[in-house]
Amino acid sequence: MKRFLLIRGAELVAFLLLAAVPLAVTNPFALGLLTLLAIYGILLIGLDVTVGYLGQVNLAQAAFLGIGAYTAGLLVMKLGVGLLPSLAGAFLLCLVLGSLLALPALRLEGPQFALATLSFLALTTTVLNEWESLTKGAEGLQLNRPPLFDITLNAPGFYWLCLVLLALVWMGMRNLLSSQWGRAFEALRDSPIATDAMGVGTYRHKVIAFAFGSALGGLAGGLYAFNFQYLQPQSFVYELMVILLLGVVLGGRKSLWGACVGAALIVLLPNLLSNRNLFQIFSVIGLVVALGAGTRAWLKKSVRPFQVIAPVAAMGLLALGSFLVSNTEDWRKAIFALMLFAVVVGLPEGLMGWAAGALARLFRVAAAPLPPATDLDLVLPMQALSGHTLLELRDLKRHFGGVKAVDGVSITVRSGHIHGLIGPNGSGKSTAVNVISGLYAPTAGDILLDGKALPRGSLFSVAGAGIARTFQNLQLFGELTALDNVMVALRDTYRTPWPLVLLGLARKEEKQAQAAALALLQLVGLGDQALSKAKDLTYGAQRFLEIARALARKPRLLILDEPAAGLAHPDAVELVKIIKRVHGRGVTMILIEHHMDVVSELCDTVTVLDGGRIIAEGDPEIVKRDPKVVEAYLGAMAAEAPAVDTGASTAPAAA
Amino acid sequence: MDTSVIIQIVVSGAFMGLVYALVAYGFQLTFATSKTINFGQGELVMLSAFFSLTLTRLGAPYWLMVPGGLLFGALLGLFVERAAVRLALEQKSEGWILLTIILGLLGFSSAENIWGRDDHPFPTPISSDPIHVVGVDITPLEISVAVGVLGIMGLIELFKRRTLLGKAFEAVSADRDAAELMGISSTRTVMLSYALSGAVAALAGILVAPITTVGPTMASALILKAFSVAVVAGLESGFGVVVVGLFLGGLENLASLYLGSGWREAPGLLLLILALALRPNGIFGKASIRKV
Amino acid sequence: MKKTLIGSMLVLMLGSGTAWAADTIKIAITGPFSGGSAPMGVSMRDGAKLAIGSINAAGGVDVGGKKMKLEIIERDDEAKNERGALIAQELAAMSDLSGVIGTVNTGVVLAGDKHLQEKGIVKIITPAAGSASMTQWRDAKAKDLSIFRFAAHDGIQAAMVVEEAINRKFTKVAIIHDSTNYGVSGRNDLVDQIAKQGNKLEVVATEKFNIGDKDMTAQLLHAKSAGAQAILIWGIGPELAAVANGMAKNGMKEPLIGGWTLSMANYIDNAGKNADGTLMPQTFIEEAVTPKSKAFIDAYHKVYGVTRIPSPVSAAQGYDAVLIFAAAVKQAGSTDSKKIKEALEDLKDPVQGVIATWNKPFSKWDPADESTHEAFRREQTVMGMVKDGRVVFANEADRARLAKAEGGKKKAK
Repeated sequence: MKRFLLIRGAELVAFLLLAAVPLAVTNPFALGLLTLLAIYGILLIGLDVTVGYLGQVNLAQAAFLGIGAYTAGLLVMKLGVGLLPSLAGAFLLCLVLGSLLALPALRLEGPQFALATLSFLALTTTVLNEWESLTKGAEGLQLNRPPLFDITLNAPGFYWLCLVLLALVWMGMRNLLSSQWGRAFEALRDSPIATDAMGVGTYRHKVIAFAFGSALGGLAGGLYAFNFQYLQPQSFVYELMVILLLGVVLGGRKSLWGACVGAALIVLLPNLLSNRNLFQIFSVIGLVVALGAGTRAWLKKSVRPFQVIAPVAAMGLLALGSFLVSNTEDWRKAIFALMLFAVVVGLPEGLMGWAAGALARLFRVAAAPLPPATDLDLVLPMQALSGHTLLELRDLKRHFGGVKAVDGVSITVRSGHIHGLIGPNGSGKSTAVNVISGLYAPTAGDILLDGKALPRGSLFSVAGAGIARTFQNLQLFGELTALDNVMVALRDTYRTPWPLVLLGLARKEEKQAQAAALALLQLVGLGDQALSKAKDLTYGAQRFLEIARALARKPRLLILDEPAAGLAHPDAVELVKIIKRVHGRGVTMILIEHHMDVVSELCDTVTVLDGGRIIAEGDPEIVKRDPKVVEAYLGAMAAEAPAVDTGASTAPAAA
Repeated sequence: MDTSVIIQIVVSGAFMGLVYALVAYGFQLTFATSKTINFGQGELVMLSAFFSLTLTRLGAPYWLMVPGGLLFGALLGLFVERAAVRLALEQKSEGWILLTIILGLLGFSSAENIWGRDDHPFPTPISSDPIHVVGVDITPLEISVAVGVLGIMGLIELFKRRTLLGKAFEAVSADRDAAELMGISSTRTVMLSYALSGAVAALAGILVAPITTVGPTMASALILKAFSVAVVAGLESGFGVVVVGLFLGGLENLASLYLGSGWREAPGLLLLILALALRPNGIFGKASIRKV
Repeated sequence: MKKTLIGSMLVLMLGSGTAWAADTIKIAITGPFSGGSAPMGVSMRDGAKLAIGSINAAGGVDVGGKKMKLEIIERDDEAKNERGALIAQELAAMSDLSGVIGTVNTGVVLAGDKHLQEKGIVKIITPAAGSASMTQWRDAKAKDLSIFRFAAHDGIQAAMVVEEAINRKFTKVAIIHDSTNYGVSGRNDLVDQIAKQGNKLEVVATEKFNIGDKDMTAQLLHAKSAGAQAILIWGIGPELAAVANGMAKNGMKEPLIGGWTLSMANYIDNAGKNADGTLMPQTFIEEAVTPKSKAFIDAYHKVYGVTRIPSPVSAAQGYDAVLIFAAAVKQAGSTDSKKIKEALEDLKDPVQGVIATWNKPFSKWDPADESTHEAFRREQTVMGMVKDGRVVFANEADRARLAKAEGGKKKAK
């Protein structure tokens, strides 16, 4: 409750204060800046969806600002549409264009994505500039601000409109981001592969996120048009885009507060710089802060020396410059660059990321309490041990160029069994399960689940068919808590359509999901670490978390890909217990493992692969003594002998 | 329209395309070793050109000015690596994108205040009077651009294949971790790649300056196109950039001719989005296999 | 309580409203001081500062019997419309601002001036030449206007360019312009003027280029193959130079005729010998034809350590604009912008500037005729020509006329 009050209270106070400003201040310039702040706030919240949550450098947001501005402006000037309908038009057009751009662009990542969005930006400017019959091109479009329901908006009135829209966007975004959607966005940034494998469509979520962020850009554009009442294509270019991007990063990614603080910085900094005395004061304060924070970090040895020295050097240069340079206007860009450099190096989380941490410590804000765990029977219903054929591989092949990683493998997995898959390194075990789970499409052969053909080459579709898996190289969503990791994967839980989610009507569903996820965490013994970030868990706990996450899929078949790799002895023992517990609920499993004793203890049947082919199959105790198996292991793994012993804590094996 | 005019237009665009290719090659060098590129590369081109101009004004002859400029470019490259890239690599974050943009901003502003906001002509001993080659006007200046671009790319490729240091470079490009295990310092190799990339950018500046003149904004249009060329060709494609650069340069001028000069960049941009959607790793890049 | 606290903090932060001494005349100078149009902005600013410096050195302006110094508030609009709009809002909110001088980019004028007009603050636009800067007020049927322009607007310039082309017996011309507001509105003015002057010119090609373009081959060859005898051009320095150099490369000898920006140093320097013969309307030529202009040129060179002014037209206009403004303050006997506006509309004493002696440059605003707030007429504008890296008078008659006008006044005194 205290947490709720503090957070909601801070938001409420901030908005009320902002709304009250026109009552106290009549200065039109201050009001103009605040209006711009609200508009840029919406714009940056939209940008933060891709930059913060999807983790992609999106350079198209300035284009959507422009498209939105021109759409709203033209609707008003050419068709005489009202204020709110033209804003809605700008929003919708950008939603459509955003999804159209997203379809090709979101197949890309990193620099390629940045470039695709940059091209879109350049293309937009060209079209706005050249389509003179519509946009009046470089001459610019003059427009009037239409009345809102017959009320002519004066400066404070328009400011309040912008502020109300910002508040609505803020609330909608907060609701969306604290739902399954927000978790999915973060999950697919940390590991797109695992997101797909957990049945959450990566591509679909990315497209929707991008389109939604773009639509917010369009909305901001509409407001921008009515604010300046004069538009020119050259306003919406790369230079503006860089500033927007820096605003998001400075303010703090993945944070509504951050986006708004970023907007405030963008709007206010240039004005700060035009007053020399004020600038001198600020640069000296900046230097002192950098020195203080640097010394503290230095003593705690919590950061690298570079992170201390670089901001101090940058701020020192700034302070020195503020007294040496007579005309600060001339050096504006350099000043901006030095400040940004200090913040980006010194506070990688952004101003609000850093402030949020500090405030949470200061007020000792406790995390929201968790609901009691659901009964496990509801989350992971008992499955009958029928013993019929669940999964069948028929002559499965997967070749990479000339390498025949899997070369004609036929396996039958019976319901309720733990089916071991073993073999020396490079024998094709991992490739086989990667083909089953849909990461690779098979080169040839059939995969049948319950006699029906399984979708091929799509993690997402295979996950939908009821197969869940863990990964040999952990694919957790590191920035999410353990609880959230499991919640992302929960099957058949999230049914609220997104418009209701935006309105904040998915809370009950969230509570149920938390309770269910908690039950699964308790099953693997992580109930008390539910709120730790996955990346902060111990290595063993991370392995167990992967199992809990896979179980959230209520799988018919669970594939465990070397779950014991790199585990210390006590953890390996714990792992065996967990697998037995899961098996006790009737879950069928394929277990890939190096450790022979784990295999003998757990598996009903074992298949041994070597060179992509089956060399033995049957009861683990018999297979273990098969001469071909012994030869394969001793021949290939003489150097890897310790792997047979669970006591060895070798580093996680390379793929 | 006269065929010879069309050919002239395409050839002229292609020469600019070669400059895009050279800057794009600078992107490739650093991407190979560190999977990062300098978003402030344009400022590096510009600062090196200004520095070379200053050398010339101080009386340095052309043969001395060129290596001086290259050295300056390499030093700037090293500075970018230290200040903007290394930390991000150590932390495995994407901070480098912003930090390189920020350093670019700093470089831009410094140039404005040190050398002024104006454009300056860049003296060169190479003539810019056109000579007639099979019906097309070409200036010796353009030929020098072509020779310089292909020359330095050839030299660096030779260096990578023939020398021990170069092989270390290739090893880190192929597999950073494995190279580390073999005792190759990846930090040093990344530094080397940034120094080379800086020198390449400086050469691009020196070659293009007599044509475009030297000013703070001389490279801002150039750099976006070079970036396109690098990504479309594939950030690890080597000489692929030359093909794409020539194509893009020619295409721009053709579009200008047939669609109207305002639309000159549009077909290139559209093609770029499509090319990326179909081949995310570039036309000459290798498709990568998803690994878990 | 909290509201007012926040409010006053905001004003302090945003308005940069630090306390000023009450005995100065605040005058704001805005323009792009960084980026591509900076040479014009900086020259204008430095020219204006030169005038302010000399006025202050002489004790200041006599305002109702009290000598007051001019105080400068500088704002860099970076040639961006949003910055321009914000700066205009900021200036409009200053209670004791007497006037604004500046702005290079027509788009910035269109985005910002309405805020100043709303508050009735005097703005003297210089050197932005785009016609829309003033015609917007005619179109809006403004009853009263505090915006003045001190630059030869594109309408005058385009008329002179077309006239020059006709006088030289050309019949086919190509129009080449940049893709900014300036270039596009220049193109429209040219097309208008060709029609007004009897359609004696046929436009065989209309081509565009972007800011930053260096390779103009495609545009030029198109013009060439269409048979253009002259190139009428509207753009700014660096790209103009690229056009001149491209013409040389493609063996084109057709003359370049265009807007006053063809006198910018970054055109003349970068085009080198290829710039020779270029023709453009000028309000000021960096040639010491009168003692006043000699003094100005020498002072500029000395104070800013240059041997040539980056944009002489901007510098001279900035200088004269300040002189005219100061004269209006003196006549008004007040630092109140509204009174200064009235004085500007009816300046009693002639102002001796470096461009000309200004005799009633502005008159009472007439909503039907924007030229009431335009200082420049055809006769203050001459045709300039580039020769050996400098702009000289294209017609010796103009040179003689200006020198004589100055001399004549001396005698009259």
